[in-house]
Amino acid sequence: MEHQRVLNPSKMGMIATVLFGALTAMNCGGASANARPPATAASASDVDEVAAGLTEHHRHHHHGGVTLIIALSLDTLGVSPEERTTVEKIRRELHARMEPARVAQQKLAAALADGVAAANLDATTVEAAIAQVSAAAAKVHDASTDALNELHAVLTPPERAALVDKVEAHWSVWQRANAEETDPANLDGSRLAMLTTGLGLTQDQVNKIRAGFGEGMKSVPRLNPQEIATHIREFGDAFRSEKFDAKTLTGANVANAHLAGWGAAHLAHFVEAVSPVLTPDQRTEYARRLGEHAGHSNGGDE
Amino acid sequence: MSLGNQTRMLRRFACAVTLSATLAATPGCVPMIGYDDYPPDGYVATTAPVYFEGRPVYWYGNRWSYREGGHWNHYDREPAGLYQRRMQGPPVRRNYEPSRARPAAGGPGRRR
Repeated sequence: MEHQRVLNPSKMGMIATVLFGALTAMNCGGASANARPPATAASASDVDEVAAGLTEHHRHHHHGGVTLIIALSLDTLGVSPEERTTVEKIRRELHARMEPARVAQQKLAAALADGVAAANLDATTVEAAIAQVSAAAAKVHDASTDALNELHAVLTPPERAALVDKVEAHWSVWQRANAEETDPANLDGSRLAMLTTGLGLTQDQVNKIRAGFGEGMKSVPRLNPQEIATHIREFGDAFRSEKFDAKTLTGANVANAHLAGWGAAHLAHFVEAVSPVLTPDQRTEYARRLGEHAGHSNGGDE
Repeated sequence: MSLGNQTRMLRRFACAVTLSATLAATPGCVPMIGYDDYPPDGYVATTAPVYFEGRPVYWYGNRWSYREGGHWNHYDREPAGLYQRRMQGPPVRRNYEPSRARPAAGGPGRRR
């Protein structure tokens, strides 16, 4: 009889459950006074607006290609006070090297804003402006190698790793920011969704824009994300290493040109699809927004 | 209860104890598969990390996370050094479209 009591199934289940819970709780922080800290402003629910702002930024600013992404990554690297002055100097140098590409992008944005305001986008002007963005971006890396090498020399290994993490994170955001119009599963928060809210577009307008945009993008050579990802991986591997020479990153110029050129063409074709379906009031507001972006193309002073 | 049933129950009991002991011996109880409460790309790209134990760590979702071998990991128990950093203020964030969001949080996002 004693033997039967010990092997009672319900009792064994209870014992096993209690053991499971107790042992797990012992290990998973239950014994620690500060095991689960209280929430603060940086908890998950509070991050969306700032992250959405970055997404919007990446929709409009492509001029330096991956070099721009590297420069943006310096904004929140969180370096020590001793390094801050030098890193800030390098950040400004990188933006200065990208200035011709930034000016080209600014001209494109201004041409688009003017075209929307006048209900007359000049395709020749826009195409020329896109080509200028691409051509200027192709020269950015060669102009930036000294600054990148100095950056590597200044940063500690953990800071280099953080920079590479940020470059990869920016690239992921960039891809989502510039690809989602074509992905029906990802329309919430897309450029078109933002515009729908901002300009009060009707469903009919949205449908026409979507159709026109898809048609317009057929003429744009597809961006090969693998090409950019490969360059970013090469940069990351090299930058994490003890020795680094930016001059050895031979794919950088091509990657920068493709990224900046495709981003510019993507923006232009989106505007070309939007412009014809707008009402006069919507047109005025959209032109104002485009002009605003033209005015604050990240030149490193923001 | 038959002898066969008793044997099966004994085996289940032993398995439950073994599983509990194994979990208890695993440092941190970190759920590595299917857990998505790590800093998303938009957060990493806009937030200053804290440098701790030779790596950048991010305060996100009420815990400190860090990259390790291409994956995210986290501290199950908050180290004292990170607790002190957190008490100094929220992480520094960069807002690239100020009209879209509240001002980025201030406070010490610098390392160590």
